[in-house]
Amino acid sequence: MSRADLASGQVIRMSLLFRLQPLMLTVLLLVLAVTGFALMYHENALAQAVIRLEGGVQNRGIVHRVAAVLLMANLVYHIFYMLFSREGRPELRDLMITRRDIDDFLQSLRYNIGAATEYPRFGKYGYKEKFQYWGAAAGTVLVSITGFMLWAEGFSMIFLPKFVLDLAMVIHGYQGLLAFVILFFWHLYNVHLHPSVFPMNPSWITGKVSAEWLRQEHPLEYEKLKEEGLL
Amino acid sequence: MKRTSRRTLAATVAAAALFAAGHALAATPGVGECLDCHGDKTIEKSLPGGRTQSLYVDLAVYRQSVHGKGSCVTCHADAKAPHDKLGKVNCGKCHGDAEKSYAGSTHGMMHAKGNTEVPGCDGCHGKHDILKPTNPKSKTFRLNIAGTCLSCHKDRALEARYSHLPDHKLIAAYEQSVHGMAVKKSGLTGSAVCPDCHGNHGILPADQPKSATHRQNIPTLCGKCHAGILEQYEKSVHGKGLRAGIAESPVCTDCHGEHTIVKASDPSSPVSSRNIPKTCSACHEKEAISTRYALPKKRFSSYMDSFHGIAVEYGMTKAANCASCHGIHEILPSGDPASPVNPANLPRTCGKCHPNAGPNFAKGVVHVEVSPKKAMGVFAVRMFYTIFISALVILFVLHVGLELYGRWNRRRAAGQGGKEGRP
Repeated sequence: MSRADLASGQVIRMSLLFRLQPLMLTVLLLVLAVTGFALMYHENALAQAVIRLEGGVQNRGIVHRVAAVLLMANLVYHIFYMLFSREGRPELRDLMITRRDIDDFLQSLRYNIGAATEYPRFGKYGYKEKFQYWGAAAGTVLVSITGFMLWAEGFSMIFLPKFVLDLAMVIHGYQGLLAFVILFFWHLYNVHLHPSVFPMNPSWITGKVSAEWLRQEHPLEYEKLKEEGLL
Repeated sequence: MKRTSRRTLAATVAAAALFAAGHALAATPGVGECLDCHGDKTIEKSLPGGRTQSLYVDLAVYRQSVHGKGSCVTCHADAKAPHDKLGKVNCGKCHGDAEKSYAGSTHGMMHAKGNTEVPGCDGCHGKHDILKPTNPKSKTFRLNIAGTCLSCHKDRALEARYSHLPDHKLIAAYEQSVHGMAVKKSGLTGSAVCPDCHGNHGILPADQPKSATHRQNIPTLCGKCHAGILEQYEKSVHGKGLRAGIAESPVCTDCHGEHTIVKASDPSSPVSSRNIPKTCSACHEKEAISTRYALPKKRFSSYMDSFHGIAVEYGMTKAANCASCHGIHEILPSGDPASPVNPANLPRTCGKCHPNAGPNFAKGVVHVEVSPKKAMGVFAVRMFYTIFISALVILFVLHVGLELYGRWNRRRAAGQGGKEGRP
């Protein structure tokens, strides 16, 4: 943390390398959603227009697979980053779901209906962030596996019966839809519409948040940084 | 040879007789005498309405005609020189079989009722200029006959006058069909021309059971040329159905079209890779037909939802269509051990395109109809996700609503105190 950041009351929340990953995820997921849902809802006129725009089913498939390969590369990089890098390992620790997250969730409910006086005090990531992270992570893994099965259909056919591939296709489509819904709605609320960040939490570009925001939204992280003398 | 010599003999005898008669009855004219008047190019008769009709006979054309060696009075038996209006020429005097068959045809029956617009013999064969059908200049030569029929059947005014006539465009579509093009462009005499299917003198509309083009007769009709295909068709479920008297069972024209018929490789063909799902489903997506013959339902929609269906819909014609798996003319029910979609044969059938698809792959249905009975797995997964995603969205909305409610509530409570609570 540089002095300039301290002076302006800014705290680095995400490093550049870390920021790059969700950015890639966003772009790639959008491409995958547009190309994928066009196929999933191919009887819909809008979907047909999209397929034509993409240059027919063949080109649609190529675009979808290029984006998929990049997404999987991003996923692999992310797994290595989280498991083995000095920067990533603490992040993974912070993101682990613990008993405390359930308590936090229940306390926030109680607080909002007026049954508790204190709002739960979050660390770097609260239950909302963790839910979104693990939802997206699980979705990406599942979609990647089923996607691979369908892509390498000639290989899959050696040992998989057709009904397994049928299931893979349904799972692939609906898991994609699920991931899209989680990311779209939950994300929309958490980092855009939530009163504390409206209209947008800029940290996805700058990587920084204000110390005051951190004190209010993630008090435990604020205190930890303070203890470490970083604030 | 024998026949020709006999005919020559008959002609000679007739000529001799005429020659003798000519001397006996000066009123019976020879060709030369007829031509004294009818050789004049300006000779004509008046018709009602101020129109005129030429009575000129071109001797050279007549001499080259199939009857050119004969005499005028053979046909115009009541002709004298000079003469008034002559009686009708009766071709049946010599061509008895043709006349009999014509009398039973739709043209003949209307003609007998006094309709003068339907073709009589001369309508198709000509008058003084009649040539043998084998003569390339003949109106009934194989390469010319379509033009002869279409000279009336392409006529829009005629179509309007006779409401039972098919659309002139439909009939004229023959010219662009694979048969018509073979005649017109490639000059093939082996290609089908109008009388090959419809018959010549005995032509009848297709809705009459005796008609050559009646549904029940179509396979045999097409099989006259496409014998190998007919053999396959007769063994198929469609062919057997038709022979068992099921009129709904498809015949050649139901899939291929009739006058519009084009090659299967032509994208506009109803049996092209792109169009075949629609063509088959004209029957196989019909609830009534599926119920009546206890056939599996939703064949079209389940196909169109598959990778094969989507690929074909968007023009990747190498993807499997109905015929790729089920066969074409030799199509059999899946219960038949010879059917390519019999469970025992599926690995081989899928293997035509997917070499890795072995017996293991063939487990499970091909047309995935998403219902608990037909595809429980897919149905359950779909149901799970639908409920899960819906529930999640509802919970999101509730959570957001609750937070906003709490915030609003605290703000109201803190109104007097001034200090704003947590969001």
